[in-house]
Amino acid sequence: MRAAWPVRLVLWALVAIFVLWPGLFAPLLRPLAPPGMPVVYDRASLSGLTAWHLGLVAAAIVPSALMAIGLAILVTRPAGADFLPLARALGGFGQTFPPVAVLALAVPVVGFGAWPTLIALFLYGLLPILENALAGLTGVPPSVMLAADGMGMTPRQRLVRVELPLAAPLIVEGVRISAVIAISTAAIGSTVAAPGLGEVIIAGLNANNMAFVVQGGLLTAALALIVHDALGLAGGLVGPRGARARTAAA
Amino acid sequence: MIELQSVTKDFAGVRAVNDVSLTVEQGTVAAVVGTSGSGKSTLLRMVNRLIEPTSGRILIDGADTAGVPAPDLRRRIGYVIQDHGLFPHWSAARNIATVPVLLRWPRAQVRTRVRELMEMLQLDPDVIGPRLPHELSGGQAQRVGVARALAVRPELLLMDEPFGALDPVIRAQAQADLARVQKRLGTTVILVTHDMAEAIRLGDRIAVMRAGRVEQFAAPADIIARPATPFVADLLGEGDRAFRYLSLRPAADLARPEGPGAGPAAGDADAPPLSPGTTMAEALSEMIWTGRDHVRVARADGTGGTVSRDDLIRAGRPE
Repeated sequence: MRAAWPVRLVLWALVAIFVLWPGLFAPLLRPLAPPGMPVVYDRASLSGLTAWHLGLVAAAIVPSALMAIGLAILVTRPAGADFLPLARALGGFGQTFPPVAVLALAVPVVGFGAWPTLIALFLYGLLPILENALAGLTGVPPSVMLAADGMGMTPRQRLVRVELPLAAPLIVEGVRISAVIAISTAAIGSTVAAPGLGEVIIAGLNANNMAFVVQGGLLTAALALIVHDALGLAGGLVGPRGARARTAAA
Repeated sequence: MIELQSVTKDFAGVRAVNDVSLTVEQGTVAAVVGTSGSGKSTLLRMVNRLIEPTSGRILIDGADTAGVPAPDLRRRIGYVIQDHGLFPHWSAARNIATVPVLLRWPRAQVRTRVRELMEMLQLDPDVIGPRLPHELSGGQAQRVGVARALAVRPELLLMDEPFGALDPVIRAQAQADLARVQKRLGTTVILVTHDMAEAIRLGDRIAVMRAGRVEQFAAPADIIARPATPFVADLLGEGDRAFRYLSLRPAADLARPEGPGAGPAAGDADAPPLSPGTTMAEALSEMIWTGRDHVRVARADGTGGTVSRDDLIRAGRPE
């Protein structure tokens, strides 16, 4: 993990420079653009589009995660246990459903713009998180649950102090999967007029300008990598290794 | 004092515990022995209400446990389970602090208490304290589990096959540690085990359970001398009865004072005396192995004595 830091910092710096001063990269991209065409996307700033892109993903995945985790907690309580198989089936079904299809189905209902993308990202984000949260919460060893009860934890204390911390690495992993899928899906969202980096790619495809396609595509890929990596770091912090670091600090 | 009064538990029509009444005196160890499925763990879990009895009452010092909210009751009762059930995301020290933290003890007091417990159980607080459960050996994890159960000085300790996951050498050590800690603290213990030898070793009284019923509840010597049912006798193992009986008392009880004329042959006197805690069974085994008919035994008060084989053999048959 430690060895990854230089690579990580270089990636962050490259993306930041590209987004803020794309003109600096114009000489690299020029061979890809047809003669006389702009090299750097100029109908909106790349930084604004990147912010929109990430904003859409966050606006979809945060509520998605809250809802999925809430649902997973609900169906793993004694009162909600009857719904556990249903939640499992739903999770399995959702995984087989491609995000593009969700997008296509959402447009007729809510029209073009940011909303269909937001809905698609929200819905598709639910399922990996739900699935992982369920795996995490049901995977707590029975002896640990018995000990928590036997020590006199209330059901709520057991959830907050034992079950959620133990499930946390898997839950973060689910959020990570959802977020990465959402970043790529958000790019496709531009086909239905969601603002974001997909706009650059589509403009490039329409104008046959490979420079646009490459800058939009690379930026989206870089965002996915960064988010994937950052959530991996977060997962490390909530895992057992992070627990020891916290104990040592206390 | 713990009183179980006609306690019964049904699971979906199956009677797991059937009309059990037992009284465990303050400061004693009651061992509950039985085969798997005999209802012994269910019986134990009804004491701290992890399982609610279908009928019957359980009193602790005269107060009905049903009258206290279950989490409050459980915080007052120590609980040790078979594969220790340590919280995997907490260090050994944090695990031990579980109940004090639930009871909102001041931080400094928690820290002092954790150190005290770790020292009592021979765990180095600075080395073992920060370790996570998966970094502990089986014996260390077991002791951390016991420390966690004893954290708020409970008067009652429930142990559900606490030594089941340990290998035989560590198990013997853990049993000896428990006996030592129990004597020192005067804690009342209810211990569930499937191992009759363990029950004889640790129990002041033994309850033998089968199919949800207690077949016999008596002191180890009575259980061995007069098994109430064929099942109890089976569990004891007929072949080992005499040795089991001899394992209950120290050999020093039979020692005759050493002196000129009264002592054994000169050669034997050179052999080092057996330690004061040596049981009669161990003394007899020593004689068989070394081919002698006398052994020397040290007494706790520093004096020595001689035990003869004939006396031992006589002591192996209950009156």
